[in-house]
Amino acid sequence: MDTSSPSAFVNGALLRRYIGQKVRTVIQVIGSDTGSVVGKSTDDLQIVVRGPSPTPPLTTYLEVIGIAESDNSIRAETWTNFGNTFDPQNYNELCKLANGEFKHLFI
Amino acid sequence: MEVSLTAGAIGKIMSGEVTSENDMMPVLQVTDLKHVKAHQNPTSERFRMVLSDGTHLHQGMLGADLNNLVKDGSLQSGSIIRLTHFVGSIVQQRRIVIVMVLEVIKVKFDIIGNPVPIKPSDQRGTDSGIKLNTTGSEQQGRGESSGVRQVINTETGRSNAAISPQVVQRQVFGTGSSVPASTPSSTRAYSNPSAGHGAPRQDYARDPPTTYPRQPTYQPQPPPPMYANRGPVARNEAPPRIIPINGLSPYSGRWTIKARVTNKAELREYSNPRGQGKVFSFDLLDADGGEIRVTCFNAVADQFYDQIVVGNLYLVSRGSLRPAQKNFNHLPNDYEITLDNASTIQQCYEEDAGIIPHHQFHFRTVGDIESMETNSIIDVIGIVSSISTTVAIMKKNGTETQKRSLQLKDMSGRSVEVTMWGNFCNAEGQRLQNICDSGGFPVLAVKAGRISEFNGKAVSTIGSSKLFIDPDFVEALKLKDWFEREGKSVPCISISREFSGSARVDVRKTISQIKDEKLGTSEKPDWITVSATIIYMKFDNFCYTACPIMNGDRLCSKKVTSNGDGTWRCEKCDKNVDECDYRYILQLQIQDHTDITWVTAFQEAGEEIMGMSAKDLYHVKYVNEEEEKFESIIRKVAFTKYILKLKVKEETYGDEQRVKATVVKVDKLNYSSDTKTILDAMDKLRNRDASSLPIKREGSHHTVEVVNTSIGSAGTRDPSSVERRDFGLHAHQSRQHGNQYSNGGSGPHGGGATSCNVCGNSGHVSANCPSVNEPQGQYRGTSGSYGGGLPRQHVGSY
Repeated sequence: MDTSSPSAFVNGALLRRYIGQKVRTVIQVIGSDTGSVVGKSTDDLQIVVRGPSPTPPLTTYLEVIGIAESDNSIRAETWTNFGNTFDPQNYNELCKLANGEFKHLFI
Repeated sequence: MEVSLTAGAIGKIMSGEVTSENDMMPVLQVTDLKHVKAHQNPTSERFRMVLSDGTHLHQGMLGADLNNLVKDGSLQSGSIIRLTHFVGSIVQQRRIVIVMVLEVIKVKFDIIGNPVPIKPSDQRGTDSGIKLNTTGSEQQGRGESSGVRQVINTETGRSNAAISPQVVQRQVFGTGSSVPASTPSSTRAYSNPSAGHGAPRQDYARDPPTTYPRQPTYQPQPPPPMYANRGPVARNEAPPRIIPINGLSPYSGRWTIKARVTNKAELREYSNPRGQGKVFSFDLLDADGGEIRVTCFNAVADQFYDQIVVGNLYLVSRGSLRPAQKNFNHLPNDYEITLDNASTIQQCYEEDAGIIPHHQFHFRTVGDIESMETNSIIDVIGIVSSISTTVAIMKKNGTETQKRSLQLKDMSGRSVEVTMWGNFCNAEGQRLQNICDSGGFPVLAVKAGRISEFNGKAVSTIGSSKLFIDPDFVEALKLKDWFEREGKSVPCISISREFSGSARVDVRKTISQIKDEKLGTSEKPDWITVSATIIYMKFDNFCYTACPIMNGDRLCSKKVTSNGDGTWRCEKCDKNVDECDYRYILQLQIQDHTDITWVTAFQEAGEEIMGMSAKDLYHVKYVNEEEEKFESIIRKVAFTKYILKLKVKEETYGDEQRVKATVVKVDKLNYSSDTKTILDAMDKLRNRDASSLPIKREGSHHTVEVVNTSIGSAGTRDPSSVERRDFGLHAHQSRQHGNQYSNGGSGPHGGGATSCNVCGNSGHVSANCPSVNEPQGQYRGTSGSYGGGLPRQHVGSY
């Protein structure tokens, strides 16, 4: 794996900290149109993901890795289907801890 | 310098022998000096002092002219003075020594002797909370003292003994009255007939003047009841003297209590050999915290039943007191009141004493319950951690009743089963159930629950129990707070069941704790739960031939030996069987982020793990000899993560002691809930350690599933965020392997390789593996066969 550009775990609120940087997050797909997918982050904020469309079929939860463009949009490079069952709270906690208390463990 | 106080001076002043300096100029000590405002003239300052003659104390007032002495410090508490101009006069029914001129002999001196306040006849009963002010007490006193005085006068002919208990008792009840009152005439009455008696009366720290008659003991019988109703003063209309409930006794004579009704029982009819009747009772609580039960029979019951409302304040007087029936009355009082026709109940609207609480509890912690006696009555408060539905139970006498049980947890780390009977099931029980169903954890306070014993201790409700859901007490708030912070995840040891039963319930440990805490070495086996991955399985002897004969309910399952001709012999049953059972006996090595150990899994667990019956597997291996299939099955088993319930026990093998663990139950790991558990554990840890501990990194010595798991404080091996990390890594791996995992979240197997399954080295995971590119291909191929499991190259060796 290419570890040269690590991506930070973010949720909706933390996205703004990494504008311009590579982030990864899991969103719950709310809607999608050509070129972008609108999703709900694990902390219930709206996030728009632009970029090359993910290959259908899309599952409910989607992980996107890409560059954060603004505090609510990401330009995705990679999409991954995370399935339909996913626990957003746990992921949310992970994001919080990864950027807070245990930041030194991550990037 | 020696100073001697004029002994007996106080007594003489009190009795009126000494009324002014013409009689004597006593040397007294000031034991207390207080600044008061005179009522008539609020702006003037007066000083009130307590004077002592070494044996007795008495109140005195300092003449206004002498104020400056106090102000400039020449007169202070402890000073020895000689009264050169004073008068002992009766001010509002009390004799007070008013000092106009005094001579300060010594400014500073230690209190001489151990003087006690003089206690003449009446004691002003104090309302707690109502600071006794002189006028108030005077009024009360006046009525009373006149009563007493007259009583005494009329009864002078009678034996004093009869009178005195009553009077004496009255004194006792006043608690902490700072102004002992003296009624000179009554004193005189006493002193006259009893001139012969000289011994000072020993009493509850109140020594009357020496002229008091000696009271050998309290008369055991209460004053004749008619006494209270007869005599000209019995009908005194003075405002009732309110005494605290704790001061009531059968010798109280006329008393009044002001209290709030905390509980009212139903009007009950009964019949006993004397005939029929009805009775109802209610409990009172007063401002001091004293509680007492009041019972009314028949006509009286009718009279008061409607009047009494729970929560209201009442003034109750003129009931009779008798010893409490501890069987039915669980209030902390030795007596109970029975009201009769002469009793009065008057509702009190003023909430000035608004400090009379609505309820009073003496809460015990659940931990205490363990050590308390069965059948004792207690109050307890805790968080309801679980509640079950109502069941109908047949009572011994054939009637049915409802029963509902719940678990109550509290800060002592223990939980207890609380059983509700009868109506509680439906009313409070249902409410609690609703709260619990919606995810809440209500606080429940139980008043008067009984401790019962069956398999440990439990608490049951009784007829007079009261349940309070989410009450507004300080304790409730504290409990809720504790629960939010840590209580949720603290494994509460239930005292309501045998240790092995409940401790089995999810006592999460890490494998290293087995060694560290020397589990299994005590007499009983330890039951623990670990979340771990199966690393290796010994695939020789994964099963044994077992006897299929049923012994009653159970299979014999003892190992059978082959007779060579295809039949099998069981030693225990002493029979031969043609077909034997195959039962699993898997030796597995399991590992979590802390340690690795061997465990044995028998039939049930084995089947769960392997996914097929032992017999089938046996066939695969030995009969059909499908090595490849066998191997693939084995491989599937490895690196699957489970929640394993282990029974750990130390056993002796020949000479050595070994701690052996048996898998009792196997559960697949539900990442979501497990993560939550871990998050809670982290929170608990964080709160407990309050961020003072540095977060230490556990090195990569362990063939850890995840790199750098170091959550938690130094040294502790809490189930850290391993699984969570796995979660994240899952993402990594998922990405690696394309969309192989259709569901990333819910319990796929093979979460997080313990070691890199790419290159086989430890210390990192495939995601971070340095030798990145090559193995992808192979893995893609093989990984398809497991539902998302990560394959492991080596099965046999490690």
